[in-house]
Amino acid sequence: MSALPFAFASPAILFALLALPVIWWLLRLTPPRPQAEVFPPLRVLASVLKREETPAQSPWWLTLLRMLMAAAVILAIADPIVNPRTNTLSAAGPMVLLIDNSWSTSVDWERRVATAEALIDDAEASETPIAIAFTAEQSHDATPGTAAAAREKLTAVAPRPLRPDRARAIEALRAALAGTRPGTLAFLADGMKADDTDRTLSALADLNPAELRLIEGDGQSAVALTGASNTADAMAVTATRLNSSGPALLALSAEDNRGRKIAAGSVRFTPGETQATGTITAPFEMRNDFARLTIDSQATAGSTYLLDDGFKRRRVALLAGEPTDAFQPLLSPLYYIHRALQPYADLVEPNETDLSVSIPELLNSNPSVIIMADIGRLPAETYAPVERWIANGGTLIRFAGPRLAAAPADDPLVPVTLRQGERALGGALSWAEPQPLADFPPIGPFAGIPKPDDVLVKRQVLAEPTPDLAERTWASLADGTPLVTVKEINSGRIVLFHVTAEATWSDLPISGNFVEMLRRIVQLSKAGGATAANSAPAAAEALPPYRLLSATGVLTAETGTARPLDLARNPKPVTNFDNPPGLYGSEDGFTALNLLPQGATIAPLDPASAEITVAREGLVGGEAWSAKPALFFLAFLMLLLDSLIVLFMNGALSIARPRTAARTLAVLLALSGLVGMPHGEVRADDSKPNDGEVFDRLDTTHLAYVKTGENDVDDISQRGLAGLSEFITYRTTLEPGDPVGVDISKDELSFFPIIYWPVSASAPMPTNATISRIDAYMRSGGTVLFDTRDQFSGLNENGIASANGERLRAILANLDIPPLEPVPADHVLTKSFYLLSSFPGRYNGGQLWIEARQDTRNGSNSSSASADGVTPIMITSNDFAGAWAVDHQGVPLLPTVPPDEIQRDYAFRTGVNIMMYMLTGNYKADQVHVPALLERLGQ
Amino acid sequence: MAPIGQIVRPTPGSEALARARQRAALIPDCLVEAKRIANTVIAGWHGRRKRGIGENFWQFRPYADGESLSRIDWRRSARDDHTYVREREWEAAHTIWLWPDMSPSMMFKSNYAPVSKESRALVLMLALAEILARSGERIGCPGVMDPVTARNAAERLAAALMHAPLTGGLPETGMIRGFSDVVLIGDFLDPADEVMAQLAPLARRGLRGHVVEIFDPAEETFPYAGRTEFADPETGDKLVSGRAESIQEAYRIAYKARRDNLGQALRHLGWTFTSHRTDHLASEALVAMHMYLSGMPARSAPGGLR
Repeated sequence: MSALPFAFASPAILFALLALPVIWWLLRLTPPRPQAEVFPPLRVLASVLKREETPAQSPWWLTLLRMLMAAAVILAIADPIVNPRTNTLSAAGPMVLLIDNSWSTSVDWERRVATAEALIDDAEASETPIAIAFTAEQSHDATPGTAAAAREKLTAVAPRPLRPDRARAIEALRAALAGTRPGTLAFLADGMKADDTDRTLSALADLNPAELRLIEGDGQSAVALTGASNTADAMAVTATRLNSSGPALLALSAEDNRGRKIAAGSVRFTPGETQATGTITAPFEMRNDFARLTIDSQATAGSTYLLDDGFKRRRVALLAGEPTDAFQPLLSPLYYIHRALQPYADLVEPNETDLSVSIPELLNSNPSVIIMADIGRLPAETYAPVERWIANGGTLIRFAGPRLAAAPADDPLVPVTLRQGERALGGALSWAEPQPLADFPPIGPFAGIPKPDDVLVKRQVLAEPTPDLAERTWASLADGTPLVTVKEINSGRIVLFHVTAEATWSDLPISGNFVEMLRRIVQLSKAGGATAANSAPAAAEALPPYRLLSATGVLTAETGTARPLDLARNPKPVTNFDNPPGLYGSEDGFTALNLLPQGATIAPLDPASAEITVAREGLVGGEAWSAKPALFFLAFLMLLLDSLIVLFMNGALSIARPRTAARTLAVLLALSGLVGMPHGEVRADDSKPNDGEVFDRLDTTHLAYVKTGENDVDDISQRGLAGLSEFITYRTTLEPGDPVGVDISKDELSFFPIIYWPVSASAPMPTNATISRIDAYMRSGGTVLFDTRDQFSGLNENGIASANGERLRAILANLDIPPLEPVPADHVLTKSFYLLSSFPGRYNGGQLWIEARQDTRNGSNSSSASADGVTPIMITSNDFAGAWAVDHQGVPLLPTVPPDEIQRDYAFRTGVNIMMYMLTGNYKADQVHVPALLERLGQ
Repeated sequence: MAPIGQIVRPTPGSEALARARQRAALIPDCLVEAKRIANTVIAGWHGRRKRGIGENFWQFRPYADGESLSRIDWRRSARDDHTYVREREWEAAHTIWLWPDMSPSMMFKSNYAPVSKESRALVLMLALAEILARSGERIGCPGVMDPVTARNAAERLAAALMHAPLTGGLPETGMIRGFSDVVLIGDFLDPADEVMAQLAPLARRGLRGHVVEIFDPAEETFPYAGRTEFADPETGDKLVSGRAESIQEAYRIAYKARRDNLGQALRHLGWTFTSHRTDHLASEALVAMHMYLSGMPARSAPGGLR
């Protein structure tokens, strides 16, 4: 062909270029240039001459521009093609076409077909027969035939969501050629090596063709997803790619089962890397809905990863033999399980401690897994439902413990027969050392976890040795005794950890492996719970194809010739013609079969492996491209430029007409402003109705009292707290605001450090909801000062309580209050501001009751620890408010009993001490250590 | 086809001066009729033959009691026992301000005229200056030269114009005091209202004005034909007329109406208005100006001499 790098599709059009000089002449043939005259009295003339005319002569460069425009249009119509294809087919024998129609060819299948057709055209021109074979087809008919037959075969074939089976195709070719030496052998490859020992090219070379062409498209961009796993906060996705040269950032998206995109992520390849892991970050609830993962930029079967139930979040029910002790969480048997499984599963716990009630309740919630920590015996009537649940696919995980060790040996819910009692290692009466773990056996879900070195087992329950014990052991100690055993019942299983779930018997619960082990067991369980697996017996058999993946990564219900997936015989199925990738099973439960197995990589085909010179070519339409659009675009640009110039020359944009110019400029500015205008900051109005009040309460400390609903009581409370506020302001640096009466049934309480509650028997009893609000307030660090205002009603008196005292008891009955004691002599309250030995109000003699200090020796956690040791409750009967109450002149409203102003003063001091104690916590208490600290400092 | 009109370079001062001398030689000395001055001027710049404010010595007279001591001429008084007061002669030369319009439109010259409008205006101005200086008047040019009384005032004016060429329209006229004459030479192509808005304040201050309109024959007769693009030399505006000859008549009427408006308005102010076409002799305009300045009634019809 021509030496030029381009050719014209319709060269005849080029003769139109001859017309260019004519166009030039025509363009110059404009109205005569007006005689330019200087004329000073132009204004006079302007008043006569109304109509304006524009100069019609275009400058030479404008003419040139228009000429170029015309030339560009002519050239564009002539359709120049850069890098035209050439026909150099060898005529030595039949042409052989081997075409990959594997998954990655679907991207550019049209061009592959075009390339093949071009080759067929060439062969037809040189009248050579054509043998054609496709690598991802089931049957091959490679007999050399006519071009028409080859085209027919070509149009009948579509890309398949499969990996190519080139060896079979080449065998078919070899059989069809029957020793004939082919002329040109063109291999339209997808660019991928099947595996490390790929002999495709050398097998092709064995056919001994006159010429071997390897035609590769841009299959170099093929990317496949090979794995996905749920981690704590994201879905980790493994991707592999063919072209490893440059960096790449691919966008991933996750779709739910209706094809809606619900999450997005990305995977980043560094240069030289063929495998990378990306993440799709989404909340767990949303990750449960993931049905498939795709790469946004590609639509192939390989870039789609189907997820099945294995990725769903499991519901795990927790049961413990002893009730949860909120004060000693680290000793609670469920604490570590809770922490380990929280990120991976939905945890449900029974509301009732009674197992006969809680187990049916839990089974009703259809959990995937039930974890029982140290439960020796279940109520007799619950065995049957639990066993039925396990048989239907539930997973029961049990932890040993003293109760299980003491349980009878015939427990059906234990995987192995246990010996009575537990085995202690390293105790005072034992020679055995605490045992580390052995390597995890290759069977079972723990395979692959590295052996933990930091785990020592001090106690365990022992299994009676049975012949099948070894194969039912998922983990064992270094001396071989089983640590985790399992029993499969139908589609469910029972797993037993031979140690406790807390760290008393072993270090296992506090090692990181515990999390991994639990996670794997839970992942192993069935997601839909036991009832969804009612069809479990069917699931064990071959799974029929349910939805299959097309070559473009779309799920279709058309199953074609796909065969059921036999998981029983082939637990790790690979995709082939019979089992194309897709979902197998039924709507209730299905298994995903993905194109590439977990961890597979794809590598480029290496032409150096062939013993014959391989000519590499690209696809048709890759290198040869038409310059037509570019030329048309250029002409269009020149047209735009020409229009602008004409506008300028007519003065539409010139400053000679400032008004027009200003208007044009304004329009342009407005347009650009519309485009680039930084949108004004718009903020959502998040104010709430009571914000002003809230801010007011937060600005200053307010004393608060409970409005009982009785006016006289509320007035005294209000005046009392006002008097105390005044006194505090006068005596201390604390300047409280006006006292606030709160309606405990609805007002927000958390603003107040202390709430004064005058108990009145005649006031309405607070509802349970109100009591629970008070409870929450006390738990969150607030303090309630109950005042029965009756010195004669001691709480510890001999059962004869006043009406107010009775009411107080009724209120406290619903509250979770700690043990109480009268203020001890060395308590902080006695010295937080004033030194006090008693806490009088209007009356003297009543005790002030506070939370009993926890015995340091038992070291347990108390609810007030979070509040810096401040008691959440105070109870007095001395009528503080009555003593504090003053009128607006500062004159006391009520007399003290006995009438003694010193007692009133002490009442105020009591109030100050209480407030200081509220606000400073145990700060004063620390002062008792001052002598010791000074001594330690050597002072 | 060569254009009819063109913009020429400003006329050199020396050339204009030489031509102005020639014109001025033809004109008798100009005696400015100064109505506002009480006495009739007989010989131009001579004194008023009476004591007053002036530069020249008039007489000594004896000091009278009550007079300011500062007025005593101590040199004369030292000669004898009397005290004398020196008095000066009252000299009252008339001041005439000359101003030529030198805006770009004045540079216009058509094929029908030998010189540009600006050249003619300069010649007229300098010739006037020559004549008036000969008569002993004070000659000034607003913005260029303060009034001087000198025989060579025309030379000085020409030199001053060379150093400080006038460019735009009427300059600051604050320095012009009352009872002066103002001679304005230009084309006054702005609309009559704008021109009058500039001139009316001068008239209100009591100045007597003489306006000389210089125009090119092409501006009056509009000899253009065919497709013509007209350009204003001052603003750069352009107008294209497809057939210039078709609007000739309308243009002439408009042009004459403009001049008549201007003349009428000026005569209302008590000013004089003279039109001068550059293809006519400069002397014509000079004689007319001379007559106006001398107080002789204008013979010409409204619209000036042709």
